[in-house]
Amino acid sequence: MIYLNPLLSFFLLLSIGLSPGALSFLAESPIEAPSLAPPAESQTKDTTIYIKAVGGLQYDMVRFKVAPGTNVTLVLENTDDMAHNLLITQPKARLEVVQAALTLGAKGPEMNYVPASPKVLWSIKVLNPGQKQTLTFTAPAQEGVYPYVCTYPGHGFIMYGAMHVTRKPLPPLADDPNIPPDRANDQAEAAAHQGHDSPAASPHPYELKLPAMYRTFMPDCSPAAIAVGLPGGLSYCWDAGTCRLRYAWKGGFVDNAAHWKGNGNALSNVVGEIYYRDQAGFPLRLGDPANVPTPKFKGYRLLDRYPQFEYSIDGVEIKELIKPLEGGTGLVREFQVEQVKEPLYFVVNRNDGVSYQASQGKWTEEILRIPAGKARNFTITMTETKGEATLTEMKGEAKR
Amino acid sequence: MTRSLVSLLLFLLLSLSGTAPAFALSPTAPGDSISDYYELETIPLPPGLSAETGGVAFMPDGRLIACFHRGEVMTYNPQTKAWKLFAEGLHDPLGLLPVSNSEVLVMQRPELTRLRDTNADGQADHYETVTDGFGMSGNYHEFAFGPLKDKEGNLFISLNLASNGAGIREEVRGQLNELGRPGRMYSTVPYRGWVMKLTPDGKLHPYAMGFRSPNSLGFDKQGNLFVPDNQGDWLGTSKLYHVQEGKFYGHPSSLVWKPGFNIDPLTLPVSELAQMRTKAAVLFPQNIMANSPTQPLCDITEGKFGPFAGQMLIGEMNFPKIIRLMLEEVDGEIQGACVPFYQNAGLRKGNNRMVFAPDGSLWVGQTDHGWAGDKGIQRITWKGQTPMEILTMNLTPSGFDLTFTQPVDAATASDPKTYDFRRYYYEYHREYGSKQFDVQPIEVMKAQVSPDGKRVSLTLKEMKPGYIYEMTVNGVQATNKNPLINNFVCYTLNKLKK
Repeated sequence: MIYLNPLLSFFLLLSIGLSPGALSFLAESPIEAPSLAPPAESQTKDTTIYIKAVGGLQYDMVRFKVAPGTNVTLVLENTDDMAHNLLITQPKARLEVVQAALTLGAKGPEMNYVPASPKVLWSIKVLNPGQKQTLTFTAPAQEGVYPYVCTYPGHGFIMYGAMHVTRKPLPPLADDPNIPPDRANDQAEAAAHQGHDSPAASPHPYELKLPAMYRTFMPDCSPAAIAVGLPGGLSYCWDAGTCRLRYAWKGGFVDNAAHWKGNGNALSNVVGEIYYRDQAGFPLRLGDPANVPTPKFKGYRLLDRYPQFEYSIDGVEIKELIKPLEGGTGLVREFQVEQVKEPLYFVVNRNDGVSYQASQGKWTEEILRIPAGKARNFTITMTETKGEATLTEMKGEAKR
Repeated sequence: MTRSLVSLLLFLLLSLSGTAPAFALSPTAPGDSISDYYELETIPLPPGLSAETGGVAFMPDGRLIACFHRGEVMTYNPQTKAWKLFAEGLHDPLGLLPVSNSEVLVMQRPELTRLRDTNADGQADHYETVTDGFGMSGNYHEFAFGPLKDKEGNLFISLNLASNGAGIREEVRGQLNELGRPGRMYSTVPYRGWVMKLTPDGKLHPYAMGFRSPNSLGFDKQGNLFVPDNQGDWLGTSKLYHVQEGKFYGHPSSLVWKPGFNIDPLTLPVSELAQMRTKAAVLFPQNIMANSPTQPLCDITEGKFGPFAGQMLIGEMNFPKIIRLMLEEVDGEIQGACVPFYQNAGLRKGNNRMVFAPDGSLWVGQTDHGWAGDKGIQRITWKGQTPMEILTMNLTPSGFDLTFTQPVDAATASDPKTYDFRRYYYEYHREYGSKQFDVQPIEVMKAQVSPDGKRVSLTLKEMKPGYIYEMTVNGVQATNKNPLINNFVCYTLNKLKK
């Protein structure tokens, strides 16, 4: 709700026919055409501003400040995969210039979407992805907010920023009506995401209930990742690309705000502390512990909202259901295996951050061997262990 | 939500300042508007939904089913206006196909998934992987589209290239091929830039290659497969391809997955690539007709949606516009024209997905997805009167035959000056986009109106293959004085009529 304020003021200003930039000038005389010569008394330094056109129709920098009369070198680099230009306009003239660029029609490309208008002060032509261009100019003597904008068709309504020509301090970003409201909102969202204690509003049209899962981009996983949040703040990352549990954390679930925004390049963020990280690779072996299978992912069923993963190794169907450990930090992995004729092996690494307890079979070092007859159903209980981990059988002794 | 608020604010600003939104650049005649013939309705959405719409379809029982960017699949009952969650947690689903009232196929980033409600509680509980037989480098631009089902039960999907706006992940899915890595948009894991065919036996087959950003697929009335592609590197302007098995459509990177192809495709001379490629059936001139065409959809309503039964529509992201296609077969290949169908008049941008409801209304799912666009769902219903439009544009040996939906007023229609033609082409090259080359006005020598007044035969001074013929019609009206609503058409002339 923090972001409503700037939006609201933006709206109010629009509805009385003033541009957002007008805020700064309410107490000043009407803006005149800026003189390009620096005022004699100014003590300005040359400055270089670096701006990137980035994905999601944005400039990475939404505003910058220069003193009147400064010699400005502006470097625009297009790191997006679409073409962009950059025009600096007279105060309040952004939308007018955007409209003028749209009406260029078929002439737009050859004119770089730069309309012939006195409202356009300076411009950088359309840059294809990967291109870079430098513009030098002397900042106007007249203080004011000079918009910069991409007038490539469709972009100008959301892809812009503000050059503040002033000696005064700038308002906080969230209160600056000259930047895209989306960007001021990002700041508010970022602030809201910093505290995990306050319940975050659901990002969906329904309450987010745990267990819950997202297929998303997760760190330290193949791109076919699944994030699962369990009751009690125990969460894990399961890899549908390699059919295995990758890591587990405690204290929260995931923050998808960055991933969902824009084109989806950013990864989801783990909220909480990772206590388990698999280092042994795919754990199951059939017949021979040296025989590492290539598992095939088949999907999952939701059982009371808990995903039960389905995959196969060497043609044998496996089901894996992961529940939170009661009364501690850890996970209980319930396996169901189609009838097998050979022993099944489960391979772990002692340095994964957990102790392992198996309901069936016997450990030899880091390899659990389950006889064919007992492999139909078994559980592996993983409990967070700082220091030396143990590998145990349900009714047996700890083995080191 | 913020983005749509911004759009609303911009809309208010534009209305207040008295400037019509200049999104659509093609000229329209004064007088009648498309909204006199079609009603546009904005569908209410559940609070809290970020309605970046990736797919819309109708289930056998008449409910709409739609999927959204944050992974929700929801149903909407048009009678009760109730939204209900069907599935959640998917990764950027961008297409869906209902199988029954309790089962739907969804294309999400990592796989094609079958969602089934097995316990009849209204929500999917089994998420079955139908195919994940393609690579993922983790690059954000590797979107996946479809599925589209043909009469034999085959499913078609299409796979985007990666973008050098970002890299690849340390761990990828599928075989990494560095030969496909150079270039602006790249194919470094299997079948990026391909259309794939999943046969009923569950096998996924590479079907056609050379795509950059094939945002969804559609059949025409005869069952020919069409796939759009987006202006960018190797695409001078956006296109619609008639896709056939084994063919290459122009973006080189995907060639690395062609059997026996063992070099960096970008080392081939452009002339060789140009010989290999199959040209698009339709070109959409950039900023004039479309910047980012989306789903092609055939009007299967048999007249419930107005006079265009059997033709295809195609959505557009950057402008508030839906385009209509007038295709024909010339010398064994499909080519033809595009004309705006519905633009402005309340339609939003971001027209990413479309479907016809059983009642013949068109439902349009919108998204911005990090680019220009809007969010939400709108519905367009025909009001029952016939708008004055160009129904077909057919190539003749000496020009074009235009057929109108209503008899034309012969006085205006028989004047050759009524029709302004110019022609130009876009270059096939590695660079991003292209300017128009060899732009020439083409004189109309004669305009002959047929006795029934429905057809006008135009004789042009020169007909040259390899060009777009762009036509603006000024002042044609029907005998009942209805003005022509959409008077701007672009015909892609690949082949001459013999």
